[in-house]
Amino acid sequence: MATQISPCCSSSTTFSSSSLNQEPPFASAKLFNFSTKSSTSRWAFKIHSRTDPKNHFNLKSTNGYPLNAVSLQDAEKPLAKELVLPEQTESNLSVTVVGASGDLAKKKIFPALFALFYEDCLPPNFIVFGYARTKMTDEELREMISRTLTCRIDKRENCGDKMEEFLQRCFYHSGQYDSEEHFAELDEKLKQKEEGKVSNRLFYLSIPPNIFVDVVRCASCKASSGNGWTRVIVEKPFGRDSESSGELTRSLKQYLAEEQIFRIDHYLGKELVENLSVLRFSNLVFEPLWSRNYIRNVQFIFSEDFGTEGRGGYFDNYGIIRDIMQNHLLQILALFAMETPVSLDAEDVRNEKVKVLRSMRKLRLEDVVIGQYKGQSKGGKTYLGYTEDPTVPNDSLTPTFAAAALFIDNARWDGVPFLMKAGKALNTRRAEIRVQFRHVPGNLYKRNFGMDMDKATNELVLRVQPDEAIYLKINNKVPGLGMRLDRSDLNLLYKTRYSKEISDAYERLLLDAIEGERRLFIRSDELDAAWSIFTPLLKELETKKITPELYPYGSRGPVGAHYLAAEYNVRWGDLAEDE
Amino acid sequence: MATFSSTSSAHCASSSPAFSNNNRLHHHRTVSSSSIRFKQRFPRCFSVKQSSKAVHLQQDGASTMKVSPVKDDNPAKILKDGILSVPPVTPPEESIDNAKFDFDKENSTVSITVVGASGDLAKKKIFPALFALYYEGCLPKHFTIFGYARSKMSDAELRTMVSKTLTCRIDKRENCGEKMDQFLERCFYHPGQYDSQENFLELDKKLKEHEDGRVANRLFYLSIPPNIFIDAVKCASTSASAANGWTRVIVEKPFGRDSESSAALTRSLKQYLDEDQIFRIDHYLGKELVENLSVLRFSNLIFEPLWSRQYIRNVQFIFAEDFGTEGRGGYFDNYGIIRDIMQNHLLQILALFAMETPVSLDAEDIRNEKVKVLRSMRPLRLDDVVTGQYKSHTRGGVKYPAYTDDKTVPNDSLTPTFAAAALFIDNARWDGVPFLMKAGKALHDRRAEIRVQFRHVPGNLYNKNIGTDLDLATNELVIRVQPDEAIYLKINNKVPGLGMRLDRSNLNLLYAARYDKEIPDAYERLLLDAIEGERRLFIRSDELDAAWSLFTPVLKELEEKKTVPEYYPYGSRGPVGSHYLAARYKVRWGDVGSEQ
Repeated sequence: MATQISPCCSSSTTFSSSSLNQEPPFASAKLFNFSTKSSTSRWAFKIHSRTDPKNHFNLKSTNGYPLNAVSLQDAEKPLAKELVLPEQTESNLSVTVVGASGDLAKKKIFPALFALFYEDCLPPNFIVFGYARTKMTDEELREMISRTLTCRIDKRENCGDKMEEFLQRCFYHSGQYDSEEHFAELDEKLKQKEEGKVSNRLFYLSIPPNIFVDVVRCASCKASSGNGWTRVIVEKPFGRDSESSGELTRSLKQYLAEEQIFRIDHYLGKELVENLSVLRFSNLVFEPLWSRNYIRNVQFIFSEDFGTEGRGGYFDNYGIIRDIMQNHLLQILALFAMETPVSLDAEDVRNEKVKVLRSMRKLRLEDVVIGQYKGQSKGGKTYLGYTEDPTVPNDSLTPTFAAAALFIDNARWDGVPFLMKAGKALNTRRAEIRVQFRHVPGNLYKRNFGMDMDKATNELVLRVQPDEAIYLKINNKVPGLGMRLDRSDLNLLYKTRYSKEISDAYERLLLDAIEGERRLFIRSDELDAAWSIFTPLLKELETKKITPELYPYGSRGPVGAHYLAAEYNVRWGDLAEDE
Repeated sequence: MATFSSTSSAHCASSSPAFSNNNRLHHHRTVSSSSIRFKQRFPRCFSVKQSSKAVHLQQDGASTMKVSPVKDDNPAKILKDGILSVPPVTPPEESIDNAKFDFDKENSTVSITVVGASGDLAKKKIFPALFALYYEGCLPKHFTIFGYARSKMSDAELRTMVSKTLTCRIDKRENCGEKMDQFLERCFYHPGQYDSQENFLELDKKLKEHEDGRVANRLFYLSIPPNIFIDAVKCASTSASAANGWTRVIVEKPFGRDSESSAALTRSLKQYLDEDQIFRIDHYLGKELVENLSVLRFSNLIFEPLWSRQYIRNVQFIFAEDFGTEGRGGYFDNYGIIRDIMQNHLLQILALFAMETPVSLDAEDIRNEKVKVLRSMRPLRLDDVVTGQYKSHTRGGVKYPAYTDDKTVPNDSLTPTFAAAALFIDNARWDGVPFLMKAGKALHDRRAEIRVQFRHVPGNLYNKNIGTDLDLATNELVIRVQPDEAIYLKINNKVPGLGMRLDRSNLNLLYAARYDKEIPDAYERLLLDAIEGERRLFIRSDELDAAWSLFTPVLKELEEKKTVPEYYPYGSRGPVGSHYLAARYKVRWGDVGSEQ
């Protein structure tokens, strides 16, 4: 096991010379400057070692700029000043959670920030601000947050102390989302806390989409950092279709540069999705197989075992295709199918992803099956149908399940069906990628397989959740006299190999945003390309008022999904007997 | 877990042989009777290797045809039908034809004569394997076992001797005692000289008595020193051959000491036996994971594309024992580790590993491909060999003896107890790929494994995450033959967590974890194959010639030059010379890494 790039917080952060050697001279010189400033630069130094320093120093420009050009990335902050001036180490990071009283903030954002703090991934000077309309004191905010903070399983020491320290850095400011005045007040408070240090500001917009633009306008005009960077994290939905998404992007860009916008897709922060590229590109054994020559089809499967449960108001306006497929599953597909990027830098990776998306055929109505769950009584318990949710209109046709077959019309993937399936209120909860390989041509063991050759194909499964695992289904001889074949697994179950708790996707993504690592965030052109695949279909579904196939709550979903797969001569891997 | 339908695959004693559909049964019935009859003589067991049996019919030539009551059947048709007809297992009640099969079953018998019955191999391996086959219902209804050796012994004494080493399979212990008694009732003994026609004639007479007028099939297992092979074969063949069934002879290594002596042995054997009567056993070919090697390669899509010089950097065949000759070096000293392990076991596995895809899984097709590999190989050069011999070592107060301390070994012996070699196959698939072999006694552990090391990832994006030694980041497929059978593929993986640390983890399949059944001993499989006439796992004369011609020059050179082996302490990892040999070909032994 060899490591060069260590996690920010590992106590055994080794920064070996060989990795330095591999950096461009410019970056390593900077790094050297840094590391000589021993104590104060500690966190910065560590973070540099975590990812490619080039990224951290923002040497890499966004798409459209020449690579390696020194761009003015984060607002108007000149790079040299940011990095080299001694006072830079006296910088301050503020994370403002806009919509602090919301569910996502409580369940994910504050806990993720705390976890980063606990793991020493945050800079020494940082503050967290909650912003929402509710009147609350700092104390009340702390009280609210503290209820959802938990310590990582593998390090529980000093948890209480750490939590106290963290909460002391949390503050609250109440205000309207569209009030420049209130954001100006926030700016005052932030300045106070920054005490004249270089100020870097991260705004996390955890608010409904209709007020995105207002908040961005106010934050950008009134609460931008004067001398550091200002970045804004936005969560889905990014519009409902190509037009509304294009409109949103245009509005955001009135106030923010592309490099300031961090569109989060938390699936890209999942451990196994991160690992997908590692598997492909750091192993010799997979890449030769990664094409239409060997891969028969690829499946991206997402299922939840619960419905909207009284919170369908937002969902009903979007539906499962917009909520899961167009973003999470499509992003994973792009990562899966992209060509090898020039480097692992954000712009290189995103350039390749956008190429895949632009090579994809627009989704046709015939290639989609939609479903909606209906009520079901099981074991004396009644599960409500989707339209029985009080927040959902009784005549709603919004799909809670969808299956789709997509195609990438490029040299690598021509003719390979990429199947997607996403649904709520199904029998299990899971997210996985299944790569089904072709038949063995001229298989010598054909006769040992029986009638169904499909059962004898290899399959690579990356299970994203729950119980992260990678396994490769292979054919194997059953031990014993005779020649019975068996489909067994070569497997790697994360929890048996790695005792450490796997960090939440939000931790990784927040840290990346703080570090300016954009690899896992969605660029505007990616978003456009993604919408243009789905928009025609979504419009057709809505204008034709296509009725979804009803399926019982807790079932395996509409059978239509099987017919869709059958049309392309494939079979869903997650419903096989041996699963 | 999905087990595939049992077409040609049912385990002999499997209680649920999932007979396929009627449609197939019907098809089956139409198949020419002689091929079926042969196949189905012992239906529970013989289901396993059907198509090869059809081939065998043709190969066995005269002796088999004699058995066939339907003489006008065209052998080619039998062959074809045999291959095409899928289900091997037909419950007797279900087909009219089966009445005839039953009759046949009643009418044929197999007798297995273990020549050298009082020897170690016979006691430890052959009799227990025969019992295991019996226990599993794999032996035909009428069978007898004869022990033959020089010692005077009664049947009862043989039974007592045999019973001491019989054990029941772990997964089915029921009725073990009962089964054992039944088995022992079928064991007999006949004392005699190995070179006495007369004594063999007496044996023949006894055999005939037991055969009771049925079709007699006779298998001789020669578990005797090589110098008396020919005598025993001569006597058995001329005085104790089956009159109306087949006669087969299993011989164990050593098959000569070099090309010349091996060829002489083959010539002598062939004076008395046809090629298809000779079953040269290499028990490594009966090991579960060696059998599985072809399954892995040919029934999975994902391995074969990688199976060439384009992706494979080198392949290693490693055999290690953690004990020395321990007072029994007399035989070994005359042969040495290269002849004892490399030229046969490891080379055979290499040939299976590297062969092109055969036309079918039939014995002749596979052996044709194996011999092609062997004949494409460069004869081994002295430069590409490192030899070693263990010396004494004291550890924890225990003194382990040197090889030459063994009383049965000459004090000045230069016989290698360790050897490492680099071999090359000069064909399109493998040109330039080193095939490393390593075998040794008195090493620090006991293992046999195949390690396939893959090349570097070209233009690896993650190079900087891997550190300076890119070799640590290559993929490796390990097939562990013993102990603890396993298959694992080393892959690079991201360590979970923030940051981007890479880790080399395993995609693995540990047999003990997946299959709770005890894995049968190699001898069981091979004996069953010999009884069935399945030759896939036995070595053909031309294979043997090709194997010897690779090693003979270097063996002669080692002996003529009196090359002194590198000494290594008992219980160590062997001579360091093997590392320099690997380094010369820019590779690294996979079994001594910091993590395996």
